[in-house]
Amino acid sequence: MSVTAADTVVEGCAAAPIGPSYREKDEKPQATVSGKIKFDTVHVLPQTPQLIALLTIIRDKNTQRGDFIFYSNRIIRLLVEEGLNHLPVKEHEVTTPLGRTYAGVRFEGKICGVSIMRAGESMEQGLRDCCRSVRIGKILIQRDEDTSQPKLFYHKLPNDIAERWVLLLDPMNATGGSASMAVEVLKSKGVAEERILFLNLIASPEGLEHFASKFPKLRVITAFIDEGLDDKNYIVPGLGDFGDRHFGTLND
Amino acid sequence: MLEPLKYVYSPPWQNTHIIGIAGSSGSGKTSVAAQLVKRLNLPWVVVLSMDSFYKELNPAQSKLAFENNYDFDAPSAIDFDILVDRLQDIKAGKKAEIPVYSFEKHQRERDKTTTIYSCHVLILEGIFALYDPRVLDLLDMKIFVDTDSDICLARRLARDVKSRGRDVKGALQQWHRFVKPNFELYVRPQMKNADIAIPRGIDNITAIDMIVKHIQRALRMKSEAHLKKIAELGERVLEKPLTDNVTVLEQTPQLRGIHTILQDRMTNREDFIFYFDRLSSLLVEKAMDRMTFTTQQVITPLDRPYLGLRCASAICGVVILRSGGVFEIGLKRVVPDCKIGRLLLQSNIRTGEPELHHLKVPPNIGNHQVLLLDPQIASGAAALMAVRVLKDHGVEEGNIVFLTYMATKVGLGRLNAVFPELKIVAASVEEEWAGRWIDEKYFGC
Repeated sequence: MSVTAADTVVEGCAAAPIGPSYREKDEKPQATVSGKIKFDTVHVLPQTPQLIALLTIIRDKNTQRGDFIFYSNRIIRLLVEEGLNHLPVKEHEVTTPLGRTYAGVRFEGKICGVSIMRAGESMEQGLRDCCRSVRIGKILIQRDEDTSQPKLFYHKLPNDIAERWVLLLDPMNATGGSASMAVEVLKSKGVAEERILFLNLIASPEGLEHFASKFPKLRVITAFIDEGLDDKNYIVPGLGDFGDRHFGTLND
Repeated sequence: MLEPLKYVYSPPWQNTHIIGIAGSSGSGKTSVAAQLVKRLNLPWVVVLSMDSFYKELNPAQSKLAFENNYDFDAPSAIDFDILVDRLQDIKAGKKAEIPVYSFEKHQRERDKTTTIYSCHVLILEGIFALYDPRVLDLLDMKIFVDTDSDICLARRLARDVKSRGRDVKGALQQWHRFVKPNFELYVRPQMKNADIAIPRGIDNITAIDMIVKHIQRALRMKSEAHLKKIAELGERVLEKPLTDNVTVLEQTPQLRGIHTILQDRMTNREDFIFYFDRLSSLLVEKAMDRMTFTTQQVITPLDRPYLGLRCASAICGVVILRSGGVFEIGLKRVVPDCKIGRLLLQSNIRTGEPELHHLKVPPNIGNHQVLLLDPQIASGAAALMAVRVLKDHGVEEGNIVFLTYMATKVGLGRLNAVFPELKIVAASVEEEWAGRWIDEKYFGC
């Protein structure tokens, strides 16, 4: 069975008044918010004014590299924080410095990051900001010039990755092609699909649809579902090539 | 119909205790004022000299002044209108800009003022401190320093010759021409307006002792009234539900896990700081959602338009010291170039009343959206004071977001009721106050 993006998109991204509940509707500024998609495994960050303002900065072609890195890192931290919320916790009681009992929870389950080279590596700082000494594996997938299909070139992963939860990092989820291949690599190493959290900043409905139907138990966390893909498979309106903008490898 | 309840906060410096000290030139007014300040030994006792309120001179008067022929010792030389206006501001607990007068130029310094804010006791000192009936109405205590005129003359001569570079002849001439006649005509008659006359000025230890005791009693009563009002506010706000302007972070599994690490007394400081900084950047991100944004269209590198948002004005952080300092790392991770103001509030060890010790904010803070930072809200008394200080410095209530790690219900209720436009973002709510500890653990002392 083949589903197309048009079937799964509940609502395309569109302009809407946004802001907190205490503001009157006509006091809320208009801005384009993320589309909505019909998969329970796809989690889109709340479309708050602050998130939209951050996205506006990194989408702007006139934004300088320093700002691009700084503001994208802030979104990445929010993605990581949201991703970590999907990890299991266990009831745990502690005594506070003032001698009271606090009924809290303890983090359960070891984690690791896996970045899809090279753009995914730009998300490692944000991950480390939240998880200090987290192990980070890498997977290099590139498009084969002859077949124009993604091809696995290199991977280096923690030995015990099968026992870990994996935060898979790739900032732009366009067609979902290389990410699917990365997931296949992880699964072949024994990682359970439901223990993979795929974090990206901007996703296309096509990429999400492809991913969600192929890996129904894998969770995707994204900041924004964009309009779609152009004829070169770039996300539009998008923000250009994330890796180039982050690493400064664009022609000046 | 019942009157709607009003939730009002008055800072302890409102209804400032103002003391006027008048007396002849050379009588020792300044020394008495200085002695009172020294004896009270509190940061919020401020002396205001009436020299700051000399009128601006027109060219003709200015010429006379430079020739030593202008009468500075008559009431007409004083700008009582501005003085009354500033005293009213101070009495109302507002910020007052005091002109700076240049004796060299016989003019006010352009674009230069001294700010008086948040003093609990103001000592107004000048030969005509008890002259204008409008000023008299604002004074809580009126003192006349009654020193023998021979001594006054001797002091004045010594001062004029030694520190004002005049010769003895000129100084004597001034005395006979202006000072003495004015004393008889305007200065001495003020004695009938005084509550207390102090013969011999600074040497009169008994009189100064009495005045100090009187002021201390007045301060104690003000402090008690302030605390009582806050307590009353607490009883009433608990029944009032919090409005939308108060946001408590959703207690997600990660957040609960971080709380647990932070609350655990066994957590070492290294971990505590790491997790606190992580949480504080998250809190600042949430607080940023409470700012005002405006629509902004941009073009992406693919030449497509995107209709987005930008923050409507610059952000300024204001740290309530010492404990608010724990948020500085989180703040810089989110708004690295934001201006940072600071105010030091300390709770009085005896009464628990918060006291404003230090204040430094950017001069144009009124154009900013302000993040006010304090990790714990207890009774809310310190928080109320901090918000009031910002408002007195021109920040709109709706442009302030108060950021805290843990707040008591009653503290949140007070803030929310007194400042309904204020936004509050808290990571957790406590049923009852347990004590301040976050800054101690974070800073290690």
